[in-house]
Amino acid sequence: MAEIQRRLQALSEDYTKLQKDLQDTVTSRQKLEAQMQENLGVQKEFEKLKDGETIYKLIGPVLLKQDRTEAEGTVKGRLEFIEKEISRLEGHIQETQAKMEKKKTEIIQLQTSAQAAAGGAGPQAVKGRA
Amino acid sequence: MNLSRRMLTKEEEDAVGDEIEVRREDQDKINKFSRLHSYELSIEEQLKAKNKEKEELDDITTELELADEDDLVPYKIGDAFFHLPLPHAQELLGLSTAKIEQEIGELEDKMATIREEMTQLKVELYARFGKTINLET
Repeated sequence: MAEIQRRLQALSEDYTKLQKDLQDTVTSRQKLEAQMQENLGVQKEFEKLKDGETIYKLIGPVLLKQDRTEAEGTVKGRLEFIEKEISRLEGHIQETQAKMEKKKTEIIQLQTSAQAAAGGAGPQAVKGRA
Repeated sequence: MNLSRRMLTKEEEDAVGDEIEVRREDQDKINKFSRLHSYELSIEEQLKAKNKEKEELDDITTELELADEDDLVPYKIGDAFFHLPLPHAQELLGLSTAKIEQEIGELEDKMATIREEMTQLKVELYARFGKTINLET
């Protein structure tokens, strides 16, 4: 009986860990989405630029002149990286959700078998641990 | 409910025997430990932010060393930009960098003090409560 309790405890902890993992991944994904929007906005501004107009980058308190090709290249590279990261995280989210489903099933199965065992052996005091 | 791995198993709990009484001073120490820990986390956040700022200042200082002497540098003061001659901008950057380095130093000192106090409390509380208390952060 105690063995089942211990096992349930362990599974429950695993589930909680997976939940936290999922939450963290979702938060990171949201942050990346915001960064992507920001960079897309910058890219759109670049497209509107006429020849001779300068691009500046804010580093600390100073506006530093940027070479147009370099700036466009940097933004494009950043966007590519963000897109890759987003797909990676989406994959991880799917994985984690699947693991959670499996873990939930394990827990329910164990609980059902525990109840069956307790029912079969007659009324027993089951000591809960909190 | 504490789900950390350090929760005692039934055997360990039985082995400890009678519970040790939590005196007023013990509770005070535990509360103080908790407060210090929150403070520690807050200072860590601040240090992260300040170090990032300092990195940016260092970057721009290096960039400006390569700049043309005759260039005017748009320097942000408050919400406005002022076109400053290069040496003036470099001077202001120097002052900001020095200021941030000092602030970082002070935060690190505070951090060291907090960690010392926490270690001391750990020693005292573990001495009294042994395995029945978990102070790992």
